Amino acid sequence: MTSATVLVVEDEPEIRRFLRASFDAEGYRVVESANGRRGVIDAGSHKPDLAIVDLGLPDVDGIDVIRRIREWSSMPVIVLSARAHERTKIEALDAGANDYITKPFGVGELLARVRAALRQRARLRGGGNLLRLGDAVIDLDRRMAARGREPLHLTPIEFRLLATLACHLGLVVTHRELLSEVWGPTHAKDTHYLRIYTKQLRDKLEADPVRPRYLITETGVGYRLLADE
Amino acid sequence: MAMDANRAWVGYVAALVGTLACTLAGLAMRPRFDLVNVAMVYLLAVVIVALWFTLGPAIAAAILSVAAFDWLFVPPRGRFTVDDVQYLLTFAITVAIALVISRLVERMRRQAEAQARLEIAAETERIRSALLASISHDLRTPLAVMAGASSSLAERGERLTADERRALAQSVFDQAREMSEHVAKVLEMTRLEAGAIELSRDWTALPEVVSSVLARLQARLAAHRVIVELPDDLPLVRVDASLVEQALSNLLENCARHTPAGTVVRVRAQRREGDVMVTVEDYAAGLSDAELEQLFAKFHRGSVEGSGTDIGLGLAICRAIVRLHGGHAWAERAPGGGTAFRFTLPLEAMPAWPEEPLPQPT
Repeated sequence: MTSATVLVVEDEPEIRRFLRASFDAEGYRVVESANGRRGVIDAGSHKPDLAIVDLGLPDVDGIDVIRRIREWSSMPVIVLSARAHERTKIEALDAGANDYITKPFGVGELLARVRAALRQRARLRGGGNLLRLGDAVIDLDRRMAARGREPLHLTPIEFRLLATLACHLGLVVTHRELLSEVWGPTHAKDTHYLRIYTKQLRDKLEADPVRPRYLITETGVGYRLLADE
Repeated sequence: MAMDANRAWVGYVAALVGTLACTLAGLAMRPRFDLVNVAMVYLLAVVIVALWFTLGPAIAAAILSVAAFDWLFVPPRGRFTVDDVQYLLTFAITVAIALVISRLVERMRRQAEAQARLEIAAETERIRSALLASISHDLRTPLAVMAGASSSLAERGERLTADERRALAQSVFDQAREMSEHVAKVLEMTRLEAGAIELSRDWTALPEVVSSVLARLQARLAAHRVIVELPDDLPLVRVDASLVEQALSNLLENCARHTPAGTVVRVRAQRREGDVMVTVEDYAAGLSDAELEQLFAKFHRGSVEGSGTDIGLGLAICRAIVRLHGGHAWAERAPGGGTAFRFTLPLEAMPAWPEEPLPQPT
């Protein structure tokens, strides 16, 4: 059980209703805002641990809500977005959102994203950078990796890529962000680099690279790294 | 426009060549034939040019013919004088015929274009009504399930066992997902039809697209054995990954829906000359020849007829997406007795990427 406070900025009362029910059941405290302006105010006055922002708000653009929150807070923000709107998702992530979930979604999926976002925040404060991906273990601090009993050789770039994804464990990282972090801002559009190195990483880390469990493609947006608990 | 200009240019050349040919023929004929017959040969050239090209080349042919005829054949030769009223009449008729035939041809061309436009409009209308039929049919069932299951949960939930409640709630969820997928497809088809989709192309690894589709269709494909065969050196393609994912997803979903549980579905990709060919193949002999024919027809025409299931819609979307990328989509009888759905995506030269030195053992 958790005591975290979640702010829900969503104009549809029916969606707020089932979100509240699900968060209540998990022990979260919920603050509801029915529009964007209210959401920005509530984010300031209630100081939630995390915000869920619908991108299709009637009064202000959800992306503006994220920007306003980011002016003073680094709280995790998860956006709710319609399907097939990759550009909007990227825009929201660039504006400072930490993850997105596509409507319609199952509550299980949303709760997993919320937990990942809250955990990432805790990890940024703490430390302990040991990644477990199936039988592969990666020690991010000591830059060492093993698969089973065998040492696993990762190239410096593969390592940087993995470390960047691990910084946002469980959350999506956009192509642009990954490229800028690993190869530098001048390569922010060289998506083909990513395609080549994620393949290499999957071949080394995944038991079945066709059905990856850890290094997940977010089509048109970026990548997401999952790890075993 | 460039093509029209090109065609007009070819027309003028044809007028010149035609006149030259007639002149040679006329010179050969002169010893034995009347001048009127020589004029007829020129007339033939004018008619042919008028039939094949536009008014400009036709008139050019007429003027050139008349000039050549006058200069070379009408006495006094070597001069542009017309002594005989008869020949003047021949010239006038030649030009008139060029004009009349050009007009006729032009009118026929316009009618053919109008006809083509009408057919496109009819096709759009047909797709629209098929979409509407598909919406009403394919949404009614999930809506009925959702209304039934949720009302029994709301009204008599306390009399149901926990398992029954969970099963009902699950079916509401599943049907909602199904419906959402369907609505998304209809919207996508409408956008594709309207030409409102702007491709956001980027370098894409097809194996990643396959993985995403497999993850997305995990529940649907659970009863099938999916075999993936992708060569290790498959080149990247520059495509709109979300759309190609949708295209592939529609093909796989189609196979899952129309082949019995436990059968194999094979996903393959291979590099060819200038493109990559993706194949989704099933081994179900469950479809009759007539059904297969129908399936192929739907895929080849990209039609959305027969909205009993949204199979037509899925295949039509796949085909439209592939075409937008400059590829082809088709279906054929697979060697194993099932059906092979194939599509191609053109290859582009990949920009350079920095090779990394081999990792140092730590």
